[in-house]
Amino acid sequence: MTSPGAPVSVTGVGVLTPIGDAPDAIFAALCEGRRAIASSSEHGGVGLASIADFEATKYTNVRGLRMYNRTTRLAICATRLALTDAKIDTATFPGDDLGVLMASTYGHLDVLLEYDRSLVANGVQRTNGALMPFAIPSAPGAMVALAFGAKAFSMTLSDGGSSSLDAIALGARWITEGRARACVVVSAFSASADVVRAISRAGLLASTGEVRPFDRRGTGAGLGEAAVAFVLERAEDAMARGAIARGTLRGYAATFATKAENQASALQRASVAALRSADVAADGVALVSASASGAHEVDRAEAEALVAALGAHASRVPVAAVKGALGETFDTAGALQALVALSAFETKKAPPIAGLEEPEVSGLRYATNEASVESGAALVTSIARNGSCSALVLSPAAAPGGDPS
Amino acid sequence: MTRRVAVTGCGVVTPAGCELEAFWGSLMRGECMLKPLRTFSFRDFESLVGGEVTLPAEDELPADLDADRSRARCLELALAAAKRAVTQAALPSDGAFRERTGVVMGTTLGEERQVGDLSDRTAIDRAAGREEESIDAGFFARSDNHRLAAVTAARYGLGGPVVLSAAACSSGNAAIATAYDLIQMGAADCMIAGAADTLVRSIYCGFFRMGALSKSVCRPYDKNRDGVSFGEGAGVLVLEDFEVAKKRGARILAEVAGFGLSNDAHHVTAPDPTGRGFTRAIQQALATTSTPLDAVDYVSAHGTGTLYSDLCEVRALYAVFGDRAKTLPMSSIKSMIGHTNGAASAIEAVACVLAMSHQAVPPTVNLIEQDPECVIDCVPGKGRDAKVGTCLNLSAGFGGFNACVVLRGAP
Repeated sequence: MTSPGAPVSVTGVGVLTPIGDAPDAIFAALCEGRRAIASSSEHGGVGLASIADFEATKYTNVRGLRMYNRTTRLAICATRLALTDAKIDTATFPGDDLGVLMASTYGHLDVLLEYDRSLVANGVQRTNGALMPFAIPSAPGAMVALAFGAKAFSMTLSDGGSSSLDAIALGARWITEGRARACVVVSAFSASADVVRAISRAGLLASTGEVRPFDRRGTGAGLGEAAVAFVLERAEDAMARGAIARGTLRGYAATFATKAENQASALQRASVAALRSADVAADGVALVSASASGAHEVDRAEAEALVAALGAHASRVPVAAVKGALGETFDTAGALQALVALSAFETKKAPPIAGLEEPEVSGLRYATNEASVESGAALVTSIARNGSCSALVLSPAAAPGGDPS
Repeated sequence: MTRRVAVTGCGVVTPAGCELEAFWGSLMRGECMLKPLRTFSFRDFESLVGGEVTLPAEDELPADLDADRSRARCLELALAAAKRAVTQAALPSDGAFRERTGVVMGTTLGEERQVGDLSDRTAIDRAAGREEESIDAGFFARSDNHRLAAVTAARYGLGGPVVLSAAACSSGNAAIATAYDLIQMGAADCMIAGAADTLVRSIYCGFFRMGALSKSVCRPYDKNRDGVSFGEGAGVLVLEDFEVAKKRGARILAEVAGFGLSNDAHHVTAPDPTGRGFTRAIQQALATTSTPLDAVDYVSAHGTGTLYSDLCEVRALYAVFGDRAKTLPMSSIKSMIGHTNGAASAIEAVACVLAMSHQAVPPTVNLIEQDPECVIDCVPGKGRDAKVGTCLNLSAGFGGFNACVVLRGAP
C-alpha cells in the first residue's frame, strides 16, 4: 500500500561502464583509484574510455535489439539490469504503471549522420528508409519504452551533462503525482567516431589525454562511454516485491548561466535551493558528488559554487568527481555521480578524484585515497557545457519502519 | 500544494502568419497554406509541398549566433516565437524575476539542418579528398538541440531551469507539461514553454518511403486521406504561477489546468490502432484536472491526415466521450499549416488560447468526403463561433508518445 506523499527512492540500479557492469565492483575499482581513460591513438591522443567487447545479447534479447544503435542498446541493457535489480518482472508488472525518462542529447546523432549522408550520396530510393525513425532525438528512449512495455509515459530530456539529474527529478515528480508506480530513468552515451571527432574539434578534450578534475593544470576532459538506469518508486512498493531502496530523493533545483564567470553563482543558487527543498542544512551534507571533468574554467566555477553553498562546512565534506576515472559521459554523468553517492551511503567511503594533484580552488575537501563518508545526505551537482546547472539531494534509504539515517 | 499556472503570453510563427491575430484570422477563414515550397528542396523530388514561414526581417537570426541562417532555421523560428510570447507577457526586467524564470523547448528534429549542412559539406570535401575537415569546431555546439532553449534563456537573461524535451511530435505538449511541473515543483515561478521545428529532408524522405507523405495536401478525417503534409513553425507560451502573475498585474490569457501522458509501447512508428494509449492520456488529463466530460468545449486534434493516426484518435475520443464524440468540436489546424512535428502541439496550444479568447473554434479544411469511420464534428471548411471555456490539446508521436494538455479560459 503506497502512502500518499511518501518520498521516492532508487530501488533498482543498472550500470555499464568501461570498468564493469556491477555497481559494487565499479565502486570498489574507483575507490582503488582505477582509471578507465586511456590516450586514444585513433582520435589524436585524446583520453577515451570505451566499453570494450560490449555485447547487448549478454544482457537481454528484446525484439529489435540488433536494429538499434549502440546508445540505444546500452540504454536497453542498463534498463534490463535495473529492472532485475528492482525485482520488476515486466511480464507481470502492469505496463500502464511503468514510465521511462531518457537522458540523451547525442544518442541519435550517429544514426542521423549515417541516414543523411546516405540521402546525399545515394538518394532517397537507395537509402535505408528504416533508419529514419531512429534518427530523431527521442528514439533511444522510445525504444527502451517499447522494449519493456512501459506505457505510463516516455520522454527524453536533452540537457547535456544535466540531463540525468533533471530526469531523475522529473521522474520522482511523476511518481509522486501518481502518473506511474515505477519510472526508469535511463541515460547512455556512446563514443561513435563522428561524435568523438565533433567533441574533439570543439576543443573540449584534453589533447594529451591527461584528465585532471578541479586541478589548476586541467586542459579539458576525457570521454567515456557509460549507461546508467535507475528504477524510481516508493520504497514500500519495492519492499512488497522483496526489493530494497538504495537511497531516497530529497531535493532538486536547476538554474542557468551561459558564461563560466556566472556559473559559480548559478550552481551555488541551485545547490542552496536543492538543499532547502530537501530540508537539509549545509552541515547535513556528508558527500558532494561533483561534475568536474578537467575543463578548467567550469571546474573552477563548480568548486567556487560548492565553497559558497556549503559555507564553513565546505572544508569538511568530501568531494568526489568520477570523471577523472570514467571520463565525461555527458547525459550519463549525473546518474553516475548519483550512483557514487548511493554506493557511498552503503560503504561509508568516497572514491578519490583521479588525476587531481594541484587543486585550483581551496576550501574544499577533495577526496583523496579512500575518504570516509559520515552519515548524512549527498549533494550531486552538475554544470553542463550548455549552461544548465542542476543539483540533486539524495539521502540514505530509510530502514524499514524507520527514519533515514 | 498545487499551484495554479497562468498563461500570460503567447507567440507563434507559422505559415498562417507570425502575429496572433493574423494567424487566428487565417485559421478561421480556413486558408490552406500548403503550397509548393520555395525555400526548401531535395534533388530527388521535383517539387515538395508544405507550409513555410515568412519571417519579418527583424526576426532574422543574428550572424553571431550562426553565420548561416538556413542551417539554423529551427533556432531562428524558436527565438521569433519566444520574442512574441515574452513581449505579450511583458516579462518584468528585474533580476529576481528573471532568476526564477526558465525555459523548456521541445522539438522533434531540432537542429537537424546542421547535420544536413555537414552532410552536404562532407560530400563536397570527400570529392576533394578532405573528409576530415567537414566537422568544424562549432558543429558540436550548433547541432545540440538544447541550444533552442539555452539561446532563448540567454537572450532574456533568465536564470531558472533550462530544459530541452523531446517526445517526437508530442514535444510541444511535453514541453508545456514539463514547464507546468517545474512550476509545481517550486523550481521556477515562470517558464517560457514551447517548441520549434523546420523542414528537413530526412522527414520528407522517411515519410515518402513509408508511403505516408501526402501526394497533394493532407486531408484529416477524409475518406481518401493519403498522408501528412509538413510545415515549419514554432509556438511559445509564457506560463506563470497564477499568484505571481496576478501580483505583478499581468494579463492572464488562460490557465494550464494540467496534463495527461501515456505511451503506446506498440511499434516504432505506428500508433496502437485501438487508441488505448491516447484514451489513457485523455482520461488522465481529465481526472488530474477534475474536468468533467461535459465541461470540454473543444478538442484540438493531432489530426495528421494519415489513415491510422486519425482513426486511433477518433476511437480514443469515442472511448472517452461516448456519443458526445459525434458533436464535440474537434479540428485539425494541420490541414491548414501542415504538420510542424514537435512544434505542432505548442502552436495548437496557442490556437486553444485564441479559441477561448475569441469564443470560436478553428476548422479542418481540405475535407471532401468525411470518413464514415471518423464520425466527428471536425468543423469542416471554416471556423465558427462557439462557447469555449475548456480545451483539450492532443498530440501523438513516433515511438507512441501521447500527451493531452487541458487549457481553461481566463477567469
